[in-house]
Amino acid sequence: MELLQRILVRPFAEMFGAPDFLMQVIWEGLVSGILYALIALGFVLIFRASRIFNFAQGIMVVFAALTLVGLHAMGLPAWVAFAGTLAVMFGLAVAIERLVLRPLIGQPDIVLFMATIGITLILVGSGEIIFGGENKVMIARELGIPSGSVELNPFGGFMLLEARDITVVAGAVAMVLGLLAFLNYSRMGRAIRALGDDHQAAVSVGISLSAIWVLVWFVAGIIALMTGIAWGSRAGVSFALEIIALKALPVLMLGGLESITGAIVGGLLIGVLEKLFEIYWGQPLLGGSTEAWFAYVLALIVLLFRPQGLFGERIIERV
Amino acid sequence: MRPWTRLALAGAVAAMAAGAAAAQELYTPNLSYRTGPFAATGIPLMNGQRDYMLMLNARDGGIGGIPVNFEECETGYNTEKGVECYEKTKAQAIVTQPWSTGITLQVLPKTNVDQIPILAPGYGFSPMTDGRTFQWAFNPPASYWDGAYMILHHLSGGDLGTLSGKKIAFLHLDHPYGKEPLPLLEKLAADHGFTLLPIPVGLTEMQNQSAQWLQIRREQPDFVIMWGWGAMNAAAIAEAVKTRYPMNQFVGVWWASHTDDLQLVGEAGKGYRAISWSLPNPEAPVMAAIREHVIDAGKSLASAEEVGEVFYQRGIVISAILAEGIRVAQEMHGTAQITAAQLRDGLENLDFTQERIDELGLTGMMAPFSTSCADHTGHSGAWMLEWDGTQFVQASDLLQADQAVIAPLVAEKAAEYAAANAPWPVNEACEG
Repeated sequence: MELLQRILVRPFAEMFGAPDFLMQVIWEGLVSGILYALIALGFVLIFRASRIFNFAQGIMVVFAALTLVGLHAMGLPAWVAFAGTLAVMFGLAVAIERLVLRPLIGQPDIVLFMATIGITLILVGSGEIIFGGENKVMIARELGIPSGSVELNPFGGFMLLEARDITVVAGAVAMVLGLLAFLNYSRMGRAIRALGDDHQAAVSVGISLSAIWVLVWFVAGIIALMTGIAWGSRAGVSFALEIIALKALPVLMLGGLESITGAIVGGLLIGVLEKLFEIYWGQPLLGGSTEAWFAYVLALIVLLFRPQGLFGERIIERV
Repeated sequence: MRPWTRLALAGAVAAMAAGAAAAQELYTPNLSYRTGPFAATGIPLMNGQRDYMLMLNARDGGIGGIPVNFEECETGYNTEKGVECYEKTKAQAIVTQPWSTGITLQVLPKTNVDQIPILAPGYGFSPMTDGRTFQWAFNPPASYWDGAYMILHHLSGGDLGTLSGKKIAFLHLDHPYGKEPLPLLEKLAADHGFTLLPIPVGLTEMQNQSAQWLQIRREQPDFVIMWGWGAMNAAAIAEAVKTRYPMNQFVGVWWASHTDDLQLVGEAGKGYRAISWSLPNPEAPVMAAIREHVIDAGKSLASAEEVGEVFYQRGIVISAILAEGIRVAQEMHGTAQITAAQLRDGLENLDFTQERIDELGLTGMMAPFSTSCADHTGHSGAWMLEWDGTQFVQASDLLQADQAVIAPLVAEKAAEYAAANAPWPVNEACEG
């Protein structure tokens, strides 16, 4: 009885008893969720265009952030370093297409997946050789990301919103809207979607596979850079950022591998729900640290009922 | 002579020459972690360790005239890779330096069979202090339980009774390392009437600790003690600033005293403290020797800023402990080319008096301690360091852990370990 009360009554009593704290929990969940969604978006874009599950997305976040900080440390002004990083990510996209993907056209998916593991190892090694493994400070101030916090007093309590988090949320929303507009209204965007729907049909109408692959890997690189700036300004830039990419896996399971909407909704859902569960059930009942597994359990439950994820395409095959 | 015979002969000669060359060195592999999520902690420590040994090789021709082969085997702080490194290096090694509590716990039973001493300065399994039970394991100059006790002693103003009724959050990595001080903290909480609130941080949450710090905001503990490693520390300190938790109530273990971690918050981190059994002293004579023989000679991997920081200089102290163990073993056994078993004797007879510390040029970098057959830690004590906004500065006199409190727990847990891993050899002849 006591246990039932702790599971079913006390958490909600706490939520209603301290609504300002509840709002803070939801805000923190939203910020985390947006960052998870950003990482998941990189996976989705590449998967849609090439059916490759890009294992290297996590290390691309680290590599982009390290390049930005490294170029600035070499004396380049922040925005020049930013442009330089974009150029590096473009070069990386071209190199991956020429040296890895093009020679592997027509190979089974698993071979391409293994190739992305190879890309990961190369980026880890070269990143460590070029930039070193030390924790570095993200050049957030130099990029104009504000510091400090805004204090709100809802329901007579208090809530702190970091100016940096507000900027990250606004930047992420703008980037997602821009990406959606690009995919829906530009010629290249429609070509990416066409490739996602049917590779052979898309190629037969003259869409260049090579150009699209370079483009999606470059866009994934831009997303990686934005994610690296956002996470790096919270906790520094180090190879530990790569681990955060693991959080994108349940987001993809939940939202579906091909769906941009799924990545965003999945990221936000997991961000908020894992935070609520950890604070109101995980910490009091299970000793905490439930965020490590909660998202996977949630995704598995969803997969039981919708194997394609919340927004994935249902594939019906005639036998 | 036929060509194949010639080739075989040449191969045999080369192998003999290589064997002879291998014999003329002290092979002291380091299971390093310069890569991965914990690299930020590892790199300066490994650089300090390496540079000290390079300095001995350049200045003195090694130890006792035999050069030190300080090879690194990269583990990325991963337990499985650590065990692989141990297996790969054990044939020639006279010591293993596992560099992770998880790896230490895995190789601990193996060392009884392989007869190689584990040297884990300031880390590993705290009951390793008990030399009767852990004949091959050493954790000088202070164990995690020493560290936890000294932190509480300092926070209580010298009387643990004053902690009665207080709430202390224990923010720790959800890993064998992070859980290591829990038995002592639970005992002290029961003995002195304070509430202990363990808050684990999973490996995937190291850089996203908002849930943990929301819990701290909700629970409003009087103090937060942090047992963090690698990227966890910088993120925790940033969250503490964001949550507006008072920095003077936030204290970390010695692995949470890395300058780079605090640079992220700068001035806002002022007042944060960490216990430390080493002190940075750029003016110490050993630093001049390292500059002359290693840094200026272009052999160091360390950056100019890193050399003056806490972790690099702690790495130097760690290698100095090993080097002294080797020297004592050479003296005891009358041979420069010592074996692993002989090094074990050296590590069991360390005697870092103030005079010896000064002789080694380590003045102001460590406190005196000595080990024995029964005591494999030495319990040098430690200082509290405080972040002043730009660097760590000494913020207390030398603190000491009360061994009358810790020793019974060490004996109990060592006996438990031996029983759980029976048959476990115990050195009954060891008297202290």
